[in-house]
Amino acid sequence: MSQLTFQEAVIQGISEEMERDERIFHLGQDIGPIYNGAMHSAKGLGAKFGPRRIIQTPISESAMVGAGIGAALAGRRPIVQLMFAEFLGLGLTPLACDAAAMWYKSDGKVSVPLVIRVLYGAGPHRGHSEDYQAWVASVPGIKVAMPSTPRDAKGLMKAALRDNNPVVFFEHMALYHGARQEVPEDDYVVPLGAAEIKSEGSDVTIVATALMAQQSLKAAEQLRGEGISAEVVDPRSIVPMDVETVRRSVAKTRRLVVVSESWKTGDPLSDLTASIAEELAGEAPLKIARVGLQNTPRPFAMPLVRAAMPNVQTITEAVRRITESN
Amino acid sequence: MTPDANLLTSLYHLVAKGRVLESLLGKLPGFHPGVGEEGVVVGAFFGLKDSDYIAPHYRGALLAAHMRGADLRRLIAGVLGKVTSYSRGRVRGDICLPLQFNTLGMFSGVLGNPLNISTGIALAASLDEKQGVVVTSFGEGTSNLGAFHESLNLAACLALPIVYICQNNGYAMSTRTDYALKCTSIADRAQGYGMPGIRVEGNDVVAMHQAVQSAVARARAGEGPTLIDAVTYRISGHYSADPNDYQPKDERASWLKKDPLLLLKARLTAQGVMTDAQLAEIEKAAEAEITEAIAQAQADPDPGLEVLGPDDLYSPVLERVA
Repeated sequence: MSQLTFQEAVIQGISEEMERDERIFHLGQDIGPIYNGAMHSAKGLGAKFGPRRIIQTPISESAMVGAGIGAALAGRRPIVQLMFAEFLGLGLTPLACDAAAMWYKSDGKVSVPLVIRVLYGAGPHRGHSEDYQAWVASVPGIKVAMPSTPRDAKGLMKAALRDNNPVVFFEHMALYHGARQEVPEDDYVVPLGAAEIKSEGSDVTIVATALMAQQSLKAAEQLRGEGISAEVVDPRSIVPMDVETVRRSVAKTRRLVVVSESWKTGDPLSDLTASIAEELAGEAPLKIARVGLQNTPRPFAMPLVRAAMPNVQTITEAVRRITESN
Repeated sequence: MTPDANLLTSLYHLVAKGRVLESLLGKLPGFHPGVGEEGVVVGAFFGLKDSDYIAPHYRGALLAAHMRGADLRRLIAGVLGKVTSYSRGRVRGDICLPLQFNTLGMFSGVLGNPLNISTGIALAASLDEKQGVVVTSFGEGTSNLGAFHESLNLAACLALPIVYICQNNGYAMSTRTDYALKCTSIADRAQGYGMPGIRVEGNDVVAMHQAVQSAVARARAGEGPTLIDAVTYRISGHYSADPNDYQPKDERASWLKKDPLLLLKARLTAQGVMTDAQLAEIEKAAEAEITEAIAQAQADPDPGLEVLGPDDLYSPVLERVA
C-alpha cells in the first residue's frame, strides 16, 4: 500500500497496464516528458515508455479520437487524452456516431477498446470546468467512469484499459492533487458498473459521483449530528449505471437525493432517478430530490461558482426537505 | 511504365463489373451510385496486400469491398437490409463495409469520420512495423471538413503510412467544386501539410493505379503520407432519385467522352489486348453475375426480431491479467 493522490493513482494504473499490455499506447497533447500533460496528467509516462508509446499530437481532437478508434480497430488499445472535457465536443462525432455503434452495427464483429481521458470540474484551474457528461452518457455504446477517490480512480482506470469498448474517463480537477489515500499496489480492478456504498445509512439515499460524492459524505456526517442517517452511494461509473445497488438502498430508505455537478437538464442521474421511480414508486411512498448545477452556463467568479454549484449546504437542505415532513 | 496485358485485363474486368454494379444498384431507392467514377475506385484499391487496409469513399464502396474479397450477394443484401448481409441487417450496407476484409466503411452517415479513423489504422500500422499501409478515399466535398485538415496534418507529423485519395467528381450533391474550393487542385492543399500532392486523371484507371502504387510504395518505405486528387465526373445523380439536371449539358457531354470504361476499352483494343467481341463478353458476364447477385439478395429474408439484440450493446470481452 502507498499513499497516493488521485493523479498519482491514475498514472500508476496506466503505467501498470502499459507494462502488462504492449498494445496500450497513449495519445495526447503535451503528454511527453517536457510538459508531462496538463496538470501533470501524464507525469513520468513519457520518460518511462518513450515516444513510441507516449505519442504527442498537434491540437486536433477530432483526429486524435478518430486515430484512437482506428488504432483500436487494428488491434491496439489506445488511450487518448483530450486534456479537458470541455473539448469533448471536438471529438464527439467519431466517438458517438461511429465508435459507440460499431459493436452493435457490425453484429458483434468489431469492438473498440479505447479510453478517452478528460479533466473537468470546478476547482483550482479556474476554467475548463464543464463536464458535458450527458453528451457521452446519452449515447448507447460508450461507458463513462467518474471516480471520487484515488483507489477507485486506479481500479477503474485498469478496468477501462481491459474493457473492449470505448470508455470516457473523467478526472476531477478539484480531487486531482488533493487528499491522499491508501492505494493497493497489487493487481486490482474496480469494475465499471459497480456502485459502492461509501457510507451506510437508513433514512435517506444520496447518490453522487466524484467531487459531489465527497461533498455528500461531508453532508452525511453533518446530518448524522442532526439524527438523520444518510446512505451515500457512489455509482463510480455513470454508464453502465448500477441501478440495482441504488434500488436496494432506496427500497430501504424510501428517500432519494441525487447530487450532480452537472446541469439537472439532461443529467444522467435524472435517468437513474426515473428508473428508481419506475421500479419503486408504486410500492410505498417515495420521496425524491435532485440537486444540480444552476441551469445556466457556468459563471466564473468564485462566489458565483460556489453559489451555482451544489455543496454541503444545498445537499443537507435537500435531505431535510424530504425527511422533515414525515 | 507501360502496363502489361494482364494488368489491363484485370483492370478491365473490375471497371466493367463496377459499371454494372453502380448502374443496377443505382436503381434501388436511396442508393448513391458512382457511375463514371469506377476508374478511381479500381485504380485506388487494385494491387494492395491483404494485410493492408482500405477505407473507401461511400460512392463505389461496394465495388471496393468486393475487390477485397467480400461476397457480392451479401454486400447487396446489406444495401437491402437482409439477414444474409454481413451485419444481419443492423447497419446500412450501402456505406458500411465488413471490416474482416480489412475494409473500413462508415458506421454513421457522418462524412470525415473515416478520414480520421483510417489515419488511426495507419498509426497502428506504423507501430506494428510490418510495413502495412492504408489507402483511403473521400469526396472533394469532404476535403472541406475539419477532419480532413486534422487527419492529414496528424499523418504528416507522425509520418504515417497512408494514401489519401480525393475522388473529385466535381459535385458535392449539387454544389460545384469550383464554388466550394478556391484552390486550383485539391493536390495543392498537400503543400500545407508538407506532403506530396498529386493530381491524376482519375478516369484513366492505369494512370490512377500507377499514381496510387507509387504513393503506396512511398508509405511502405516509411516516407509518410501522400494526397492524390483523382479528377473524375459523376455521371449518375447524387442518389437514385436525383435528376442530376444541374450539370451543364456541354460539360456533361465532354466528360461522357472521357468515361473511364470507354477509355480503357479503347486502350485494350488499340494495344491489341482484346477485341470488341471479347470486351463485350466480359461485360455480359459481369452483368449476369451482378443481376444474379441482386436477385438472390432480393429473395433473401428480412431479419427476424432476434437480430434486434436490445442487450447486445457492448463487447463482453474483458482482458484479464496476462
